[in-house]
Amino acid sequence: MIEIEDLWKSFGDNHVLRGIGLTIAEGETYVVLGGSGSGKTVLMKHVIGLLKPDRGMVRVGGLEISRLEGKLLTDARQMFGMVFQGAALFDSMTVFENVAFPLREKRRSERLRGAEIRRRVVEKLAVVDLGEEVLPRWPSELSGGMRKRVALARALVSDPQVVLYDEPTTGLDPITTDYVDGMILNAKHKLGITSMVISHDVASAFKVADRLAVLYDGHLVAEGTPAEVRESKDAYVQRYLSTWFAKQ
Amino acid sequence: MEDFGRMILFAGEAAAWALRPPFRPELVLVQMAAIGVGSAFIVGVTGTFAGMVLALQMNVALGQFAAEGYVGGSVAFSLARELAPVFTALMVIGRSGSAIATEIGTMRVTEQIDAMESMAVNPIQYLVVPRVAASLLMFPVLTMLFNALGYAGAFLMGVVVARIPVAPFIAHTQEFLNPDDVLHGLLKALVFGLIVSVVTTWRGYAASGGARGVGEGTTRGVVMSSIAILVADYAITFLAVGVKAQ
Repeated sequence: MIEIEDLWKSFGDNHVLRGIGLTIAEGETYVVLGGSGSGKTVLMKHVIGLLKPDRGMVRVGGLEISRLEGKLLTDARQMFGMVFQGAALFDSMTVFENVAFPLREKRRSERLRGAEIRRRVVEKLAVVDLGEEVLPRWPSELSGGMRKRVALARALVSDPQVVLYDEPTTGLDPITTDYVDGMILNAKHKLGITSMVISHDVASAFKVADRLAVLYDGHLVAEGTPAEVRESKDAYVQRYLSTWFAKQ
Repeated sequence: MEDFGRMILFAGEAAAWALRPPFRPELVLVQMAAIGVGSAFIVGVTGTFAGMVLALQMNVALGQFAAEGYVGGSVAFSLARELAPVFTALMVIGRSGSAIATEIGTMRVTEQIDAMESMAVNPIQYLVVPRVAASLLMFPVLTMLFNALGYAGAFLMGVVVARIPVAPFIAHTQEFLNPDDVLHGLLKALVFGLIVSVVTTWRGYAASGGARGVGEGTTRGVVMSSIAILVADYAITFLAVGVKAQ
């Protein structure tokens, strides 16, 4: 579903990605683990075409995202849903308006009627265990965990083929983190969506990943199933994973 | 210079997106209310007092030549060509331009603009085009409001307070003020609307680095657009006077 080949990206003298290559199969949940500033978010923004690579290629669903521009790129983004680190809900809109936004902004030929939009918004909020009572509330009235859930409902509302999660558990308490992990698994099992998760949370990554990779210094230093990555001999990977496994 | 070049490209992109569907008239109306209705009070108050002060000063100056009857005409001429468009623009920058830069800047640093792009919605088309269109429509309207209340203020001071006879006050206004003078002011208002909306949306759009970046972007937007309208005012006046003198 997602293929990345030899991806390079620099910002001035800061070489963030140095030849990244990975493949994510349809229906798979793939986690990219890495420390702060390791380039995880930069990698994800290439997948959805928010950034252009200096070199290399990103292909999603057969479309070469890294080469698309303008309207073609805008159209290609219809296959994605994205959950941002801070939820990125529009604070001038209510929960209903936020979740309905991708549906209301569809092309005229694909646009849904008001009642159908409402039905789908309520349906997707139910996937993340939120009821109709949250519809008129403003993002500023929601807790961090609820904001993340609304963000996921908004990402799912147009039935995307791929959902990208940018640090979905950052800043959440352990119980809400556990809930968000469950939500990612739920979205995968109920809707069969391909997911790419960017995270620095080892526990969460090992819980939701079918496969995962560790990003360090612009390279993927380990990749495979959770069991394979845990057996990696790479010193950085060992040190990184020990921050959590040593506590167990 | 590089920043200026980027802003010009940004304006070009906004112009291109303005011509492409989907068109969002409802967003233009919302912005017209925010920029136009929201600024009407402050523009009205400024216009009224500007007209009153100008009438008092003119009364003193023209009184030396026993020409107080020309106060109405002089004030109307000054308002129409210079004071109304420039003061209106400065007031709207303070009232709405700063709000535009702050709102879009906050959306940028909290990834709301990235979220919009990820949902296949072009943020320039959604956020910038309606604000530019609303400014182009509302700046001339607010300028006319300034003109009307400014002249009313001048009438109050000139006729009611300074006891200038009504007949010469009105007659010299009709004599001094041509439709061209009003159109000259409205042309300026249109240009100022474009400048203010492009500069403030750009400063918000280019914001980075959290709350501090948003604050800096807003300050730069207000300062840049204020200076830009004074320069543009001079340029338009110079061209118009120059053309008339030929």
